[in-house]
Amino acid sequence: MRLREISIDGIPYDRLRVEKIPAAPEYVPRDPELVPASNRSVVVNPNRICMPIGAMWAVLGVHRAIPFVQGAQGCTTYARYTFCRIFKEPATIATASFHEDAAVFGGRQNVIEGVRNLVVRYWPEVIGVVTTCSSEIMGDDMVSFLKEARARLSKEIGEEKTEEIAIVLINTPSFAGSHVEGYDRASRAFLESLATTRDVPSEQVNIIPGMLYPGDIREIKHLLREMGVEGTVLFDISDTLDAPLNPPQEIPYYPPGGTPLAGIRQMANARATFALQPHAGGSGARYLERKYGIPAFIGPVPIGVAATDAFLENLSRVTGREIPSSLHEERGRLVDAMADTLHHTMMKRVAIFGDPDVVTGVTRFACELGMTPVAVSTGTPSKIFAREIESILAEYKEIFLDEPKVFNGGDLFEFEEYLKTIPRLDLILGHSKGIDISRELEVPLVRVGFPIYDRFGYQKKPVVGYRGAELLLYEIVNEILDYRYPDDRTQQL
Amino acid sequence: MPLVNMKCNEKIPERGKHIYIHDPENPVIPACNIKTIPGDMTERGCAFAGSRGVIGGPISDVICMVHAPVGCAWFTWGSRRNLSDLHAWAIPGRLTNTSFNRRYCVVTDMQEKDVVFGGMKRLKQACLEAFRLFPEARGMIIFTTCTTGLIGDDVQAVARQVEKEIGKPVFTSESPGCSGVSQSKGHHDFNMQFYRQINALRERRPELKMREEEKTPYDICLIGEYNMDWDLQAIPPLFEKIGVRVAAVFSGNERIENLIKMLDVKLNVVHCQRSAEYIAHMIKDGFDIPFIRVSLFGIEQTAEALRNTAAFFGMEELAEKVIAEEVARVEKALAFYREKLAGKRIAVYVGGPRVWHWIKLLEELGMEVVAGACTFAHEDDYEKINARHKGGILVIDAPNEFEIEEMLVTLKPDLFLTGLKEKYLARKMGIPTVNSHSYEKGPYAGFAGMVNFARDIYQGIYAPVWRFQDGLPEAEEEAEAECG
Ligand code: SF4
Ligand code: SF4
Repeated sequence: MRLREISIDGIPYDRLRVEKIPAAPEYVPRDPELVPASNRSVVVNPNRICMPIGAMWAVLGVHRAIPFVQGAQGCTTYARYTFCRIFKEPATIATASFHEDAAVFGGRQNVIEGVRNLVVRYWPEVIGVVTTCSSEIMGDDMVSFLKEARARLSKEIGEEKTEEIAIVLINTPSFAGSHVEGYDRASRAFLESLATTRDVPSEQVNIIPGMLYPGDIREIKHLLREMGVEGTVLFDISDTLDAPLNPPQEIPYYPPGGTPLAGIRQMANARATFALQPHAGGSGARYLERKYGIPAFIGPVPIGVAATDAFLENLSRVTGREIPSSLHEERGRLVDAMADTLHHTMMKRVAIFGDPDVVTGVTRFACELGMTPVAVSTGTPSKIFAREIESILAEYKEIFLDEPKVFNGGDLFEFEEYLKTIPRLDLILGHSKGIDISRELEVPLVRVGFPIYDRFGYQKKPVVGYRGAELLLYEIVNEILDYRYPDDRTQQL
Repeated sequence: MPLVNMKCNEKIPERGKHIYIHDPENPVIPACNIKTIPGDMTERGCAFAGSRGVIGGPISDVICMVHAPVGCAWFTWGSRRNLSDLHAWAIPGRLTNTSFNRRYCVVTDMQEKDVVFGGMKRLKQACLEAFRLFPEARGMIIFTTCTTGLIGDDVQAVARQVEKEIGKPVFTSESPGCSGVSQSKGHHDFNMQFYRQINALRERRPELKMREEEKTPYDICLIGEYNMDWDLQAIPPLFEKIGVRVAAVFSGNERIENLIKMLDVKLNVVHCQRSAEYIAHMIKDGFDIPFIRVSLFGIEQTAEALRNTAAFFGMEELAEKVIAEEVARVEKALAFYREKLAGKRIAVYVGGPRVWHWIKLLEELGMEVVAGACTFAHEDDYEKINARHKGGILVIDAPNEFEIEEMLVTLKPDLFLTGLKEKYLARKMGIPTVNSHSYEKGPYAGFAGMVNFARDIYQGIYAPVWRFQDGLPEAEEEAEAECG
């Protein structure tokens, strides 16, 4: 910095530009033998997080519920940090604060004390107890610890008040699955422990959205409203993680909304369950089907035309409600938009990555737009994913320009290195971790999926339903135009 | 009695001994650096966050190998703004978008069978592969976490084997999240272990020491500076101007080669005195290299830091000239902000040291610190707060969410300097915030950085958004008039 006066704007960003220094004299390709994730022990740039964060997400979607994480502080604090980065909202999560003594003697005392301390200050209606790698390794007997915790509480606040608080245990050792599975296990744990009686069957449907953003959940509710169907959304984060600024606030702060406890109990009385994401919520739906015979519709996540059609048709079939003209119109508008934009979407090569269900949905939609999914990757390996992707790709095979490559599991390093080898790529669809590769290859990134933390507003913009697909389509097309035609040739689209 | 019982703590009175109002007549030191109360909604992180996130993460040219299931590693992947200028090649002719230390997340991804049978084989394999994948790396640090700490993998043995096979230094940082009460344990562990290991390495390989011809009589090492949002653009140039050479930085944007040479300088200048003073002490004891403590935030403190450094080398005159020039550059801008910010009441919640670093800075801008809270401070941090504040400040050790809420509601500060987790909560209460860990738009350190800091505070307080926070204007009166 030269000795210029510094204005009130501070040091402007362009004067802060730092010259990049190369870490090696020149580009050398990464060892090809080690690029495939299956050839190595080391994971580089994982495309998944750990189980507890998925379970915490779920609990945050329940009214006046607080996750209590049985582990050391980092697993909680980092997850809260991640939620804050994504949603730009507070996330209240308690930790058992394991220190060295817990590592030696186990987490019994931590959970007994911790639940007590949480209850007497916060009075939550629901506590979702989420385990971590450390508590699972130490073999904490959580079922009996929680009994003790209840007994301890009972002594202090009385049996009646203790009974009113629901405690749901979710076992989530991270070394056994990813965040997607954490959410999935939460769906089952909540229903198993709360939806315990089918007494007065209702006309309602259950919706388990999976790890979809507030904007998506609002869109699903919109579809239900248009259909005239009453539904309970389990883990409804649409208000809890997108709350208005409206002081004064009562303390302790609880965000508005979330699925009420009574609503979860009533899910046993529903007429059908729709788990929009097989990997995140499917277990909950299957549980209700097995236990009470409530028909389970598991996936596909309603992204794009065909998947939204399927969702509405199933909904219509099971409730006997006709799909109203308003939704036919929404569909028509989406199809109209697809026709308007087809010259910019057809024959475009796209790479897609993220969680299995969203990737499946987005891949199907990309195909519907006439794109070629040249590379498709999920960090959470799954047979269902493999099957569904295969069938989508088979359906659209004849319009593809190249053979699609599917990464079922594996990391983003492998995915990136693959993208570097293909001769042409027009677009990347995936979460925030794709930004580097997008900048480096000069290929636009359209953000979709979990997590998106480096831009504003994506949490509120739906990608599901016809309207969501339309918004996603515009984003796709505009990004392509920006990148491919930076000149004035596109002034008369 | 300066200790305070907050209302939210009625049911956990143990928290009382962590909270006080500073009275210069009767200064107290709260209970601190002790166990967190489970379920109290603490804001603290884990020891691993202190070692991997805070100190190891900023080093620019090593592979940070996290020996853990995937989560611990994912969470520390590029999530702190410890920037660096060293970049790998992305494709021929183009460097990566993000610097090497933040571009890659390297993890052993422990699976169930590793947990059962031990993860050493996997770790060794992973280390060898990582070196093959990233030949540009100049070394490696292996970090343990709760999982690998609990199963008791001997990572030092693995490090020795890998170092032997590869020929590049391999360090270990054993600081599982649960090994301490907060991030602070991780800082401490990293300091001790790294010091011990560079010493041993220098013995094994003396050629890694600083060569005589490279040394100057004015070599310093800046300790406890992590290059948040390029603070290093603001700081070392000042030292260079007064005639000293910043031979190494522990650890912001630093090459491992220079860190190994940090035992060859003449003076250590310690900025973050919580996370890194340990190593300065050890270097003093082991090598007789003195250290001084400095604050590099705010005009007065930065000037004093330069003065004290210059005094050590007997070069005060030049330093005064540099200070005068630098102050002149920012005077006009700061005058503007002083006028806008005078009388504003600020609450600060950070890890620890920044509370006392910033008391003076905020006073320079005419503001008053009404509350200060620290995640992982020790006694000496509270001594420093007490020494720098005129009295009346509410101080909370290891605050939890409820206490922060009560503090905000009762004191109603004009702005809250805090971290990401808490800032969204404060905003819901209509209180503006400035991210005090990674900054909003830094750098904040040094003279020029002070203008950025003042600007971001001003933006927070003066944004028109706060005019709209009370909701739709009440239409009651009009309605009444119509009915009447
Ligand atoms: S220990 Fe397990 S649960 Fe905790 S952050 Fe690491 S991977 Fe996730
Ligand atoms: S497992 Fe331990 S080291 Fe990893 S994030 Fe959790 S507390 Fe930190």
